[in-house]
Order: sequence, then C-alpha cells, then structure tokens
Amino acid sequence: MRRLIAIAIAALVFGALSGVAAYQKVRPQGADDVDRHWQEIAWPYPRDGWPAGRAFRCDGCTEPIEIYVRPKIGFCNCDTGVADDDEVDRVADLDLISDRFAPLAPGQVIRVADLRGRVRAYDLDMPGGARHAAIGIAVSHRCDLLVAVAQGRAHADELQREAVAFLTTERMKHWTMAALGGG
Amino acid sequence: MGGRGSVALLSISFLVVAGVAAAQQQVIGAPPEASNMRLVGYNDLQARSAYQPTIHHQGDRWIAYIGHHGGSDAIPDPVNPMTGKAEPNGTSIVDVTDPAHPKYLHHIPGQEGKYESGGAQMVRVCDGKSLPKGDRNAVYLLRAVGSEGHEIWNVTNPENPTLVTRIGEGLKDTHKNFWECDTGIAYLVSGAPDWRTRRMTQIYDLSDPAHPVKIRDFGLPGQEPGSTGAVPTELHGPISTGPQGNRVYFGYGTDKGGILQIVDRDKLLHGPAAPTADNLRYPEISRLTMSAFNGAHTTFPMLGMPIPEYAHDKDGNKRDIVMIVDEAIQNECGEPRQMVWFADVTTESRPMMISSYTVPEASGNFCERGGRFGSHSSNESMAPVYYKKLAFIAFFNAGVRALDIRDPYHPKEVGYFIPSITPATDKRCVTLEGVERCKVAIQTNNVETDDRGYIYAVDRANTGLHILELTGEARAIAGLP
Repeated sequence: MRRLIAIAIAALVFGALSGVAAYQKVRPQGADDVDRHWQEIAWPYPRDGWPAGRAFRCDGCTEPIEIYVRPKIGFCNCDTGVADDDEVDRVADLDLISDRFAPLAPGQVIRVADLRGRVRAYDLDMPGGARHAAIGIAVSHRCDLLVAVAQGRAHADELQREAVAFLTTERMKHWTMAALGGG
Repeated sequence: MGGRGSVALLSISFLVVAGVAAAQQQVIGAPPEASNMRLVGYNDLQARSAYQPTIHHQGDRWIAYIGHHGGSDAIPDPVNPMTGKAEPNGTSIVDVTDPAHPKYLHHIPGQEGKYESGGAQMVRVCDGKSLPKGDRNAVYLLRAVGSEGHEIWNVTNPENPTLVTRIGEGLKDTHKNFWECDTGIAYLVSGAPDWRTRRMTQIYDLSDPAHPVKIRDFGLPGQEPGSTGAVPTELHGPISTGPQGNRVYFGYGTDKGGILQIVDRDKLLHGPAAPTADNLRYPEISRLTMSAFNGAHTTFPMLGMPIPEYAHDKDGNKRDIVMIVDEAIQNECGEPRQMVWFADVTTESRPMMISSYTVPEASGNFCERGGRFGSHSSNESMAPVYYKKLAFIAFFNAGVRALDIRDPYHPKEVGYFIPSITPATDKRCVTLEGVERCKVAIQTNNVETDDRGYIYAVDRANTGLHILELTGEARAIAGLP
C-alpha cells in the first residue's frame, strides 16, 4: 500500500513538474524570462575599426543562439537613417562571422528601443563549409548606429524573434541608450 | 613651507591651470595662432559650411570656387545678401585677384538639406580651350550636388554662371570628383542606385561639357550590383595622372578601413565595362590596405620625387610617392587619430607606408578645444610653386599645417595657421551621459593653393575663407621672394 501511495505521489509530482515545464514552454515570455536565458560571453572577435561591443549566448532558446551588438557612433546618415537593405549588408557586422553571406530575402523595417532601422536574414557560408542562418540588425539614432548580428542553427525567423526580444529587454534598452550617448 | 608660501603656491597653481584652460578654448576677438604663415585676406562666405575650394586663373583674374555642405540646424538656408533670399548652400564664387580684398561675386544654390545631406560640396574647373570639344572661350565648373547628381556650369562670367547640363539622378550620394582638363574624362563620385555602396565611381567623357557620355561604373569587387558578402569600404575620391601618367589613385574610406587603389587608367577606360567582379579587378594594379583605424580621404600622387638622402644611391634615388590623408569625423577625439601618411609606390605591386605626420595634440590641447581634431584633406594643386616641396593639410581645430615634404621619408612641419573664430563660427557638440555639451572652435576643412603661392583655407563650421601666405623658413623652401 505504502508503495502504491509513493508511486502515486511521484506520478503527481512528475505530472505537476511536466505541466509547469510545458506551461513555461508555451506561455508568452515576459521580458524578464527572455533576459534570464541570455548570458554575456567574451567578445569573440579581434580588434577592428570599431571598439568591441557586447556578446551574449542564449542557452535557453530552442537552439543555442549568439548575438553580438555594438554602437557605431557617427556612422549613419543623420537625416535618412538606415535607408535600405544595402546599408544593413554594409554595417551590420556580418563580416565578423564570415565574409561570405547572402541575403535570404528583402529586409524589414524594425524598431528597437525607440531606434528605427532594418533587419535582414542571411545565409552564412562559414570557413569550414558549414552553412547557417544569421540576422543582421541596424537601427539608428541621429547620426549613430546600433548594429547587431545573431547567428545559430535555428531557422532565421526564430533567430530574428529571439534576437529582437533580447534587444528590447530593459537591460539592453538601458545599455543601448547609454552606449549611444544617453541621448 | 609656511602658510603664506602655501597660499602663494596655490595661487600660482590656479593661474597656471586657468591659463591652460584658456589656451584650450578659442575666444572671439583673440588673434590667430600662427607660425611661418600670415593672414592676407578674408571672406565670410556668407557663413556657409565649406568643403572644396578650387582656384582658377581666368583671363586676368583669379577666381575661387568653393563648394559647401548643407546648412545647419540653426540656419538651414543662410540668406544671400546679394539677392536678399534664403538659399540652400551651394557654390561660392569669389574674386581673389587681390587676395587682400577678396570680393564675393555669386552664390549658386545647391541641394536642400543640412550638413552632409545638402549643399554642393565638390568643385572642379576646366577651361574650354583645354577640353577637346569645349567652347574655347568658356570656363566650366563641375560640381557635385548631393543626391541630385552632378552639374556643369558655364562660369565664363563668374558673376553670372549659367547651367550647361545635369548628370545622373536618383543617386544615393555624390562627393569628391576629379576632372582631367586635357581629356575631359571625369571620375564622378556617385552612389548609383543599384550598387551596394553609397559612393563609387561613374566615369564620363565630359570633353564636350554640353553632351556627357557615360563610359562605365567602377568600384571594388563586392560593391557591384548583385554581389553578396562583405561590402568593401566606400570610395572617397580619385586623382588621375591623365594619359601621360596612365594611373588613377583611388582613396577609399574616411576614418576607417582605408584603401589606396592604384589603377591602370587605360585599362579602366577601355577595358570591359560591365560591372562584374572580374571586370572591376582587371584595371587594378595593386592596393594598399590601411589599418582599420584610418581612412583615405585624399590620395595625392607625387611621382618621380628625388630623395636627397638617396642622391648617391645607384638605384632608387627617385621615388613615386602618394600622400594619403585620413579624415577625422568625430568631435573631441572620439576615434583613433586621423593623420597624414606617405606611401612609397615605386614598386607598384608592393606599395609600402614609409612615414606619417600628425599635429602633436599637446601643442594646443586640441582634444579639449571642441569640434574635430585630426586631418581632413590636403591641397591638390600640382603647380610648381609647392608641388613635391610643401604640402598643406587641413587639420580641423588645429587649422592649416605646412609640411616640408622634400624628404617624404621624414616629413616635417614648418608652419601653421589657426584662424580666429568669429560670431558666425558654429558650435560642435558631444553627448555626455545624455547631456549635450557644445564648444566653438575653428574647423579648417579644406585647403588649396594657387600658382602664385597663396593658400586658401576654408572652414566647416561657417567661419569662412582665409587667404594666407608663407613667411620665414617655410617661404624660403618654396623659393618665394
């Protein structure tokens, strides 16, 4: 009898935990949940014309994703902002990962932390011959840019969703505004 | 030390600190700072932000044509006192025959828009008699008019210019053109709408200025339409040595990722024109890739320079040199130092950087003065008075700097002139922790020389045109009386 009770309790606990896990999986994620999944990692690229930015890895996403984000002060047309997809190709730091990339489709207008710009999905041809998706994001404030590139094995749509959700967390919004001079 | 001694020491320290602070900031009414250079004349250019000056000997007159950036937030379209109308910044035409009394003749309005987004920044001038199919009595001005394209004006009567033709439309941008006056070939810095870069080259035959003929588009592989992958640094401007020299020196970049590209002019003009990666590579002889920290605004060739130190060497005593000038773009030293580089391109396939020059920051506390500090451009006149002897560098808040370049392996500053600010000098701001803080400082943007040896410095912050001459040691180097 005791054994049966123990099995029943174990089943109930397991069921409850599974339910919680399933709920966590399907419920809309709040900004805090999103933020919790991303851990800051060291900037993985050698020095170039711009100071290093910040790099993060999402281990809580369906597939691991990395995002690299940095300001480029004074690198944007002060009047037109990020005007077209060619500008995303030029500025969004995809070449940090690989010089060989091709857009998957025309980009879209995007808004991140009150900054307007464009996002575009790419197919990256990696040095080892592997291919995977990446998302380039370029948004501007006056003459300054914030650029981000996200890469991972996930589908481009998911990369974009996760990357944008992360960039719009309170932590990243605060950092973005400070990095662009607080203005 | 007693109490009185301490007080005295504190007072002296305070005065020293106050003096240093005062030296950092320019003040209206203060005299210019100068060494071996002297102010001859001045014009306010209607308080318009200035880019390229070109000085042309026209009949018995000397005329300065000066391109402008767009207006400022405070004054988008300054009033032209000669017409009484607000006009978007374009091209100023100034008679500098008497350099002590320059006379403003005319303003040709440019594209609406502020700062880099408006105006008509670039000007080049050719006589009709030198162009193969030009009107022998005419003088032509070629100017870049923002995204509106390029224009050619007949400036035979500089008081009353007339539009000849327009070239290009719907461009992303235009910038620092070059026009060969003896052939009419023009290298127009444009942003063709289907190219992946804001600035590339459109080559035209403008030997008959009224009837432009397109030759080809040109750029670095990866910038052409339909290409993928990383987009190379955008063009800033080319300088051609014409059919005799058969080389075009292209400078790419402003303050980052600079490239000097050496191109075979004949292959460029007569090679396959379709914008494919192979066709773009075909005329390239070599390129010098600079540090990611520096760009290439001006690439000024000085070929066959005798190097005094190598005079007794059995080989290599003459060198082909290209002076490369970066452009500073950030206010108050917000980027790596932009400066002047000298490349030895004698062995063309292996160009090598041999020396550099910058203004010592501490000599004027220039990072504290406000606005940009660093180089922007050099004079481009190849008139004998200064060519291969002295170069003049626009250095923003450090004014104009005169360099002795007779030994380009060891360039040496021999003079400078930092103009005074005026009530028209515009502020330059930085944002610190969300708060905008502004300072007013001279922003010498471009410099040019004429065949007589006068030096023309123009200001990006609306201060106007300063006409200068050399004195002392610097004047002796040029052989001027």
